[in-house]
Amino acid sequence: MPQVPITMPQLGESMAEATIVSIKVKPGDKVSADQEIIEVETDKAVMGVTTPCPGEIAKIDAEVKGTYPVGAVLGYVEASEADAARFQKRAPAPLQGEMAKEIPGREEEAAEAGRTGNGSGSHFQVDDVDLPQVATPVEAAQRGGLPVPASAKGAGYLSPRVRARMAELQLTQADLAGIAGTGTAGRLTIKDLENFLSLIESQPAEKPSAIRTGVADAMRRSWTRPLATVGVSVCLDPVLQDRQLRAGGADGDPKPGPALYALRALALALAEQPNAAARLIGGRAIGSQSIDIGLAVEAGEGIMVPVIRNADKTSLADLTTKYAELVDLARRRRLTADMTSGGIASVSNFGTFGLDWGTPIPLPDQTMILGLGVGKKTPVWDESKKEFVPKIEAQVTLSFDHRSLDGGGAGRLLKRVIELLEDPKKL
Amino acid sequence: MSVTYLEAIREAQTKLLREDERVFIYGQDIAGKFGGAFKATKGLAEKFPGRVLNTPISEDAMVGTAIGAALEGMRPIVEMQFADFSSIALNQILNNAGTHYYRTNVPVPITVRLPSGGTKGSGPFHSQSMEGLYSHYPGIVVMTPATVEDAYTMLIDAVAIDDPVVYCEHKYLYYHLKADALPKESFPVGKARIVRPGRDLTIVTYSAMVHEALAVANELCKDGFEIEIVDLRTVKPLDTATVLASVARTGRLLAVGEAFPWGGVTAEVVSRVAAEGFHLLDAAPARINAKDTPIPYHPNLWTEHRPNRKTIAAKARQVLAE
Repeated sequence: MPQVPITMPQLGESMAEATIVSIKVKPGDKVSADQEIIEVETDKAVMGVTTPCPGEIAKIDAEVKGTYPVGAVLGYVEASEADAARFQKRAPAPLQGEMAKEIPGREEEAAEAGRTGNGSGSHFQVDDVDLPQVATPVEAAQRGGLPVPASAKGAGYLSPRVRARMAELQLTQADLAGIAGTGTAGRLTIKDLENFLSLIESQPAEKPSAIRTGVADAMRRSWTRPLATVGVSVCLDPVLQDRQLRAGGADGDPKPGPALYALRALALALAEQPNAAARLIGGRAIGSQSIDIGLAVEAGEGIMVPVIRNADKTSLADLTTKYAELVDLARRRRLTADMTSGGIASVSNFGTFGLDWGTPIPLPDQTMILGLGVGKKTPVWDESKKEFVPKIEAQVTLSFDHRSLDGGGAGRLLKRVIELLEDPKKL
Repeated sequence: MSVTYLEAIREAQTKLLREDERVFIYGQDIAGKFGGAFKATKGLAEKFPGRVLNTPISEDAMVGTAIGAALEGMRPIVEMQFADFSSIALNQILNNAGTHYYRTNVPVPITVRLPSGGTKGSGPFHSQSMEGLYSHYPGIVVMTPATVEDAYTMLIDAVAIDDPVVYCEHKYLYYHLKADALPKESFPVGKARIVRPGRDLTIVTYSAMVHEALAVANELCKDGFEIEIVDLRTVKPLDTATVLASVARTGRLLAVGEAFPWGGVTAEVVSRVAAEGFHLLDAAPARINAKDTPIPYHPNLWTEHRPNRKTIAAKARQVLAE
């Protein structure tokens, strides 16, 4: 009896491959036509692979969790001669893995030739039927070739000359954001660039400090990612009471500020949910050996972010001492590279500038940054007393790389931070 | 007084025959009263008896004999009736003359004049432009004068050069192009000339297409485009430095030639700019040539077959708009 292949179907326009979630049959099972026998998952959804014809499962080659391209043979159905013949008739001719025969953009040319050929006043008649059949990009791609762009003229296109000039002047694409291109589809031409350069030439300019340049570069690199921010209110009274209770110490040890409470709370929350801070690099989620948290410090004309190691395993008192040392070094510009690298998340205390809310940008090598707004006395409804009571409230924000984390994950992490801040004995 | 392109060629030959006794001219029907198919040698046989010689109808023999004479110390000029017929002498020009100095250290100072390019109603055998084909081979200098002045001085230079020179004179320019007087000084051989300065687009061209390009530049000037035109003058050697300097000013390139589109001079120009000046380009380099079919006889078809000011202008606007 003939064996009919079970192949990975094209389950969506953009689907190239799918991963096997489960296999519902085993060899020897009787199956009917179009029976769902394998569950597969694409980047969009979980879908079913069905049998090509009725018969008996001869064998299953696919394995659960394996990823297979469209058209791959997943197994075979042993079918009667009649059913197999019917299937052969239905199945499309096998695709040959050859390159695209025609350049997709040529379609327009061919169409135009047809139009002009049939227009009035022409010497020649072109028979429509004889026009060459031109492959569409999709057809070309299915034949194994790449879809060929018709031209390189879109808004984002930078000509070799523009690129060379940018490299010469060390310009990045972010520097050109203020130029409206005059080329095709808004493309920035070399003249647009030169006009812009001569325009800014007449304006006052000075060399930015090294720290400003460093921050600019870090923020630009970080901004290449899809960043999102969520925020929630926190009652700061427990933290402020806890702070009162902590003796400053006879030797004048500093007391921890609210930002350090937040840093400690974030460290503990991340110790419980370490995947939240994993970095996605090339299809791998990169974790970390230790919970090292940075704290943004305004220093000179920029920001420095010294990192406190093992913040989840360091007491608030020790964190305070460590923090004071690092801030002092930062303000005197004495931080070394290893003191600012390797963190998995950071805290920005923008509340010290009197700000309620913000969307700080995570460092380019980190996935998230926690922001702390200014504490304000706010009337809060107390259900048990049936009255408004005054409380010190602040806004806490979490800005994150949306590739690594979603609103739910970010919300759960932030909620845990709030719980800890409102119960500071746990910190 | 005014001088046409054709008269400049005749005057250059007169001067060469008068001042250099090693010079003589070979060709079909060039002596006697006929004076050649285009009258480029009219009256010269009488003025210089025995030095303007009719040959049998064999381009192969004409060039072969000229090579022999050159090896004996003469400076022969060979007139082809039409550039198209020089293909019969390809073996003599490319294999014998082109390689001789390389093989023996003895130069072959011959000049082969090719009445080139199209005129209305000349058809497939009397209209072709062969400069791309000759440029492909080593050992040969290929000249394509576009002006009366260049037609005069470059022919004198061609005879002075020790290498074999293919001198492509454009038939359309013979009577259409006039200058006030013959020049006293020549522009160096192998050096291209900026015919018209500009800053928006470089058109690199040569021979009759220089004048079509100038018309396009004047038309597009009304729309505010400043087009720079480079006349290559000699297509081999090709003055890459001048072309690159021009593209450095404009960032955009259009190469225009009357020869067939497959390979050739315009392809070489685009190739060199893309390879050596990629960082200078703000738009994809473009070229425009004749169509890839035999040259049609009918005047209307011929006008559409070669690049003309309408098609060049359309292509130029396309490159400018990118």
